[in-house]
Amino acid sequence: MKDVPSTATVGTGLPPRRKGRPRVSETAAPSLVEILNLVRTGKATTRQEIERRSELGRAVVADRLGTLSELGLIDESELGAATGGRAPRLVRFMSDRGRILVATLDQTALGVGIANLSGDLLMEHHEAADLTQPVSDLCERLMTLFRWILDRQSGGPDLWGMSISVPGAVPDGGETHFQTTTPTVLPGWESFPLVETLADTFDAPVWIRSSVETMTMGELHAGAGINHRTMLLVKVGKRIGAGLISDGELYRGAQGAAGLIGSVPVTVGQRSGTLETMAGSDHIEREGRAAAERGASEILGDQMRRGNEITAIDVANAAQMGDAAAIEILSQSGRLIGQVIATLANMLNPELIVLSGSIAQTNDILLASAREAIYGASHPLVSRDLQIVRSQMGNSSGLVGAAMVATEGMFAPPMLRDWIMSGKPQAQPLFQQLKARTAQQLKAGAARQQGRAPSPPKS
Amino acid sequence: MTISGLGPHGERASAPERVLLLPEDMQRARDGNFRVAIVLHTLASDWAKQQLAGIVGTLGNCGVAVIDVVDCGFAPEAQIEALERLIREAPDAIISLPVANAKVAAAHAQVSAAGIRLVLLENVPTGLLPGKDYVSLVSADNFGLGKIAAEGLSPHLAKNAEVGVLGYDADFFATNEREIAFVKWMQINRPDLKLRIRRFPSLPDAGSTGRALLSAFPEVAGLFIVWDTPAMAAAQVMQSMSKAMPMATVDLGRDAAIGLAAGGPLVAVAAQQPFRQGEAAASTTVTALLNRLPPAWVALPGISVTPANVVECFQMVWRMPAPREVLLRLNLIH
Repeated sequence: MKDVPSTATVGTGLPPRRKGRPRVSETAAPSLVEILNLVRTGKATTRQEIERRSELGRAVVADRLGTLSELGLIDESELGAATGGRAPRLVRFMSDRGRILVATLDQTALGVGIANLSGDLLMEHHEAADLTQPVSDLCERLMTLFRWILDRQSGGPDLWGMSISVPGAVPDGGETHFQTTTPTVLPGWESFPLVETLADTFDAPVWIRSSVETMTMGELHAGAGINHRTMLLVKVGKRIGAGLISDGELYRGAQGAAGLIGSVPVTVGQRSGTLETMAGSDHIEREGRAAAERGASEILGDQMRRGNEITAIDVANAAQMGDAAAIEILSQSGRLIGQVIATLANMLNPELIVLSGSIAQTNDILLASAREAIYGASHPLVSRDLQIVRSQMGNSSGLVGAAMVATEGMFAPPMLRDWIMSGKPQAQPLFQQLKARTAQQLKAGAARQQGRAPSPPKS
Repeated sequence: MTISGLGPHGERASAPERVLLLPEDMQRARDGNFRVAIVLHTLASDWAKQQLAGIVGTLGNCGVAVIDVVDCGFAPEAQIEALERLIREAPDAIISLPVANAKVAAAHAQVSAAGIRLVLLENVPTGLLPGKDYVSLVSADNFGLGKIAAEGLSPHLAKNAEVGVLGYDADFFATNEREIAFVKWMQINRPDLKLRIRRFPSLPDAGSTGRALLSAFPEVAGLFIVWDTPAMAAAQVMQSMSKAMPMATVDLGRDAAIGLAAGGPLVAVAAQQPFRQGEAAASTTVTALLNRLPPAWVALPGISVTPANVVECFQMVWRMPAPREVLLRLNLIH
C-alpha cells in the first residue's frame, strides 16, 4: 500500500503537504468516515447521537455533517420525534447517491440486478445459463444484461460498484477491499480478465464473493436473518456450504474459505463419503433416477417413461406431492445434513439456522428431517431458543448479499478514507491504478492485433 | 411442458399439475366456507375476462365464494385503495395482479401481514418474497413467449436487416422477460440483425413511440411489440407512414387473430393461455387455503401461433370459435 497517494490529495488535485499544519481535508477524513458509517448503519440518527457515539465536539460534528451533506451522502431535511423541547433533525444516509450492479453466477442460472447503497434491490432478472460455457461468453452475457438494466434505469444515480456471487470460495488475502485482479474461482478464469473487463467497461470497482457468503449476507439483510446477530446459513445444492454471521458480521476465515462443510466425511450403513456426495443434489438426482428405474417411485417413473430427465428438483417436487420413495431420499439427505449442522450448532450456538438452495426451498421434507437431526443432537442450551427455517428469498438472497458485500466494502473505513473527499469510490487510488493498468493492457493488445507492436530490430 | 424462463427470484417453474385438486381437496375446501377477492389490472380486455372466468369457475367448483372483483384500470392508486378496503373485509385470500412495482409493493405486503393469503398474477413487486409476502406467483412463461415471438419473426427477416423492438417502459416482470428473451434469441441465432429498441411509457403512447422508432430508423424492416394491443397501434402507425413490414407480438387478441389470418403485417404471435392460467391461480389459492405449500412459481407455457394454426389456437386460448373475419380470410366459410 505504500505507493498509494494519501487520502487528502484525491479529488483536491493538490500535492500532500510535507510541513506545517495539515489541511482540514487531511484531518477531516477519519471523522467523516466515522460519522458517515454511524449514520449509514443506523447507529446514530440525530446530531446528539452522533456526538455521543463518536465523542466528537458539537462544532466538529456540525462541520463534518456540512461536508457530508455537500458531498450528497447525507440528508438532514426531516424532523424526528420531539422528546421534550424542539424536534431534532434526522440525519439520513442518502442510499440513492449511487447504484450497485449485482449478479449471481450459479451452475445452471445467471441472475442480475441493481441495488441502492443500502442493498435494496430495485430490479432483478434471472435466466438459465451454463457455467461451463467459455468465460468470455459468460462475461458477454453478463455485460449485455448489465447494460440492459442501466438502460432501464437511465437517468438514475451513478454506478458505484459491481458485485458478483460465484459458486466457489474466493481466496482472500485481505489486502484490498475490492478485486484488483480476476481470482481463479472457476476453470478458465485464469486466462480471462473478467474483473478488468468489467471495471474498464463500466468504470466501477468489482467485488466477488462465494454464493454461500452472499446468500448469508442477503438473508441477514433482507430475509429470515433480519434482527439476528448470530446466524448459520446452509446452502444445499450440488455443493453444500455454510455461512456464519457472528455478532452481526460475516465470518470469512483466514483465507475466505470458512464453511466448506461439503467436505466433511459422513457414513450411512456401509457407505461413506463426503457430505456433498452423500446428500447433495447430485446424490438426490441419482437416487431419484434409480428409484424410477426399479419402479419404486410412481411419479418419477412416469416422468422417465415420458422421456423426461429427472433432476433433484423433480425428486423434491415428487416428495412434496407425497411420493414415498422421493420422501425417503430427501429425508436421508436431510438427516445427514442435520447431523453435520448439529456439530456446528453445538460449537457456535446460533440463534437461527437457515436452509437455503433450491432443494431446501421447494421442500418441507428435507427441512423437517434436518430439523429433527439438529434438535436431537444439540445440547439443550443450544436448542432451547434455536429457530431452524428455510430461506424464502430464492436466488434474490445472493443478489441482495452481493450488494451488501459491495457497500460494506466501499464504506469500510480504510477504503472510504481514500475516496470520501471526492464523493465517489472510483476515486480510490488502487482503482485508478487498476484502470490505468487495464487501459495499457488493452492498448497493447489492440496494437498487437493491428500488427503495430514494436518488432525486434532486424539483424 | 417446456418452460424457458426462471421466476422473479430465480425459481424453477412448477407445472400447474403441482396444484391439481383431487375430489377430497375440493370437499375439504367446501367445508372451509372460504371467501376470496380478486383484484385485476383491468376487466376490459379479453385476456382479463378469460383469466377471471378460469379463476371464478374453478373456485366455484370448490365451493369458494368470490366476494369482490376489482378493476384497477391500470392505476396503482386504485389498486392500493382496493387492497386497503379488501383487507378490512378480511377475506381468506386475495388474488391480485400488481399493476406496478415499488408503488404497490407496500399495499400487497400488508395483505399477508393481515393474515390473508395473497396469490399474485403475472408480476411480483420487487422485494416481496414467496412464502413471506405472498403464497405463489402464477404466470405465463413470459421468457418463453419472447423466444417464441423471435423464432416466428426470424424467417421473415432478410440478412443484416434492422429490427425494431417496442418495449414497455415500466418495471413489469412479464414485459421485461419478453423483451430480454426476444433480444437474447436474436443475438444468439441472428447475430447479423441490428436491434433498435424503444419503450412506450403507457398504452396510449404506444403509437407515438412506434412512430418515433420508425422515423429515427427508417431502415427498420421488422417489429416486435411486447403485447398485442400496442402492436395493433403500431400496425396503424405503419399504415399511416405507408410502411409494410413483418411484425410479431404476444397474446392472441381478436384483432391479432384477424391480422394473422390476413397474412400480414402480423406474422407470428406467442399466445398465453389466460383461461388455464386462471384455473391454475384458483387451484393454487385453494391449495394454500388447505394449508399445503404451493410452489413459489406456477408457470404455463406459451403457444406459437401462425396463420396456419390460428383457428385452433384461438379456440384453445379463448374457448370460443375464431371470429368470422378469421374464418372468411382462411376460406373456411364463404
